[in-house]
Amino acid sequence: MRIRALVALLAVAVGAGSLGLGGCASQGITIHRMPPETPAAKNAAAIQKAEALAEAQEAAKNQQQSGAEAVPQLTAADAPPLETYDPWERLNRFNYRFNARFDEAVFLPVSNGYRRVPSPIRSGVNHFFANLAEVDSVVNYTLQGRLGRGVRSLGRFAINSTIGIGGLFDFATKFHLASAPTGFGTTLSKWGMHPGPFLVIPFFGPSTLREGVGLLGDYGTSYGINLANLYRGNQSWGLGVLNAVDKRSNISFRYYSTGSPFEYETIRFLYVRKLLLEDEGLHKKDPRKPRTPDAPAGQ
Amino acid sequence: MKFFQKCVIAGTLAALAPTAFARADAILAPAEHGPATGLADSAALRATVYGTPPQDMAPMPAKVPLVEMNIGMPWAQPVPEVFWFDRKLRVWFSAQDKPAPLAIVISGTGGDGNTTVLSTLRGVLYGAGYHVLTMPSPTFPGFIVSTSSTGVAGDLIQDGHDLYAAMQRIVAHLPGKVQITDIDVLGYSLGGANAAIVKSIDASEHKLNIHRAVSIEPPVSLFASVGRLDNLYAISIGSEDTGVERLYQKIYAQLANLYRASDRVEIDENFLLSAAGSVLKTDAEFSAAIALTFRINLMNVFFAGDLYAGTGVVVDPKHPPRVGDSLQQASRILRGKPFSEYFTKVFAPYYLKHRPHSTTDSLIADNRLDIIGDALRSDPDYYVQTNSDDLILDKSELAWLVNTLGSKIAVYDHGGHLGNVGDRQQASDMLDMLAGRWRGTAR
Repeated sequence: MRIRALVALLAVAVGAGSLGLGGCASQGITIHRMPPETPAAKNAAAIQKAEALAEAQEAAKNQQQSGAEAVPQLTAADAPPLETYDPWERLNRFNYRFNARFDEAVFLPVSNGYRRVPSPIRSGVNHFFANLAEVDSVVNYTLQGRLGRGVRSLGRFAINSTIGIGGLFDFATKFHLASAPTGFGTTLSKWGMHPGPFLVIPFFGPSTLREGVGLLGDYGTSYGINLANLYRGNQSWGLGVLNAVDKRSNISFRYYSTGSPFEYETIRFLYVRKLLLEDEGLHKKDPRKPRTPDAPAGQ
Repeated sequence: MKFFQKCVIAGTLAALAPTAFARADAILAPAEHGPATGLADSAALRATVYGTPPQDMAPMPAKVPLVEMNIGMPWAQPVPEVFWFDRKLRVWFSAQDKPAPLAIVISGTGGDGNTTVLSTLRGVLYGAGYHVLTMPSPTFPGFIVSTSSTGVAGDLIQDGHDLYAAMQRIVAHLPGKVQITDIDVLGYSLGGANAAIVKSIDASEHKLNIHRAVSIEPPVSLFASVGRLDNLYAISIGSEDTGVERLYQKIYAQLANLYRASDRVEIDENFLLSAAGSVLKTDAEFSAAIALTFRINLMNVFFAGDLYAGTGVVVDPKHPPRVGDSLQQASRILRGKPFSEYFTKVFAPYYLKHRPHSTTDSLIADNRLDIIGDALRSDPDYYVQTNSDDLILDKSELAWLVNTLGSKIAVYDHGGHLGNVGDRQQASDMLDMLAGRWRGTAR
């Protein structure tokens, strides 16, 4: 069963990879039915969000005024360079194109279809996987020496696994224990590792060497603990696919919707800067190391 | 792609050296012949960056069906390898389930066929009973590659003909049994000018029988408007290569400090949105955000034009880049190049060669709405909506629009550029114009 699933997946992947390889313009027409837009609800949500944002900004202002002395301020000179460390650029660019094609041919149609599933069911699925990930978060918060947050994740896991019926409902957030997942990539960062070279992982997307190792670590942790035999049983493939579809359906990113030849550069820039900014947060109490001149960001 | 847009917006949150402020204030102050109310109008800059406030939006329908169409165009040029993903034109269509008029809406500079503004207009139009077709701008790379017959974007007439041909092909292949009673065209920003031109082409060719055209906040002179945005860039960011770098370093440090002061474990959309309020404060910072957004769009147009025209500014015509090749160098060069350089090095050489009787001056003159001035003046089916504080117009251009269109124009006091699209007044006036109910502002 598992082998058949793998073969099917590979066949689909090869099909996706060979799509549109020719250099000539195609005169065909393809039509995709998209999930309907809900402008009234969207606007109502935007009004609510704007109000929440105003409150949050007010709160942040007060917090900044009271706790300004705790963290040393960065200056413009501390910013990493505009260029990103990308020694594997050629391979990365081919992987980026492969991912774009796979997404267009397989991932996106499947996740668009999945969005037609009633939203209570989808949110149950989403909470279920988020709850499973809490186990990995507990392990990694412990490795990072952030025990308070580890206990918080453990508390979330305990509440949602019981009252939340195996994680289908997120009651912990209602009890003011907001979700704050972490992983092995963050642990490596806490231990002092730089993001490393930019890396586009097939099927998965933009990453760096450190985050790639982190992914393996996270999977290894889950596989090792093998909670309720979910990771090694016959159902593990199906669950893995459902997890991937759930994740994809919650990301609005669409490959090449920019139409731009510079999309790879843009994504690389934004992704690595996001990681570096998060690293700044993790190391805010450490003494600042002087930046190596001319070393591209991420090295 | 919302995350990406947010990042771009957050990434454009500028902070500038005190000297630049002083300079900016001096130059941005409204001059006698300058912008209608002056680029220094803070409200206009803020409205342009933030868009229409959600609480001011016109009532929207609960549900709008949506179909994505990818269409190849038989006349398209061979697709260069670096543009493999832009082989087909991508448009979006929302069908009523009964006979209805079709509204075709064209995006603004560099925009695809499903921008936030298009989505807003789609909601308003669909709610009012129209089938809605939204299309990218002829300056969107996906259009340039899949549909343009030249690859050199930005010429009103040429782009108008390409748009018109694409519209015919799309309308002939709309999915399902769509019953169309009438066709109207609309567009915002550059798309507003495109819409009026398309209607004027149809008036002589009669292939779609377009009834009315509504131009929302269009430029009057394409190159003058673009020049204003380039000027904004030079003032707020600086034309030398270090300008962008300085801007980036400052934003990075600001975001890092905000993030370190917060208690978050991840940089997400909510963080960026709340950070925007702290990072974007002064007029110069808002100006930088607007100017940089425009420059990013221009980079694509420049690159594609250079590749198709073989002008060799950043693309070696003999060895065009391939899929695995880095474009870092090209993007670094292009981010420092204003539109004027696109005009002198790519656009003018290409069109002067292909239009034997043209001159540089005639190319500029051909890209003004004057070329259809008579139609705008005398045909009752052209309408315009604009703002008196729109950044892309100056006083004389606004006056030209008002004089030319007479009672067929609505001029709002506030909104900057596109900061009021979809608000109650704009939406209801637009629907009145489309339905032929509009009786001018003196109601």
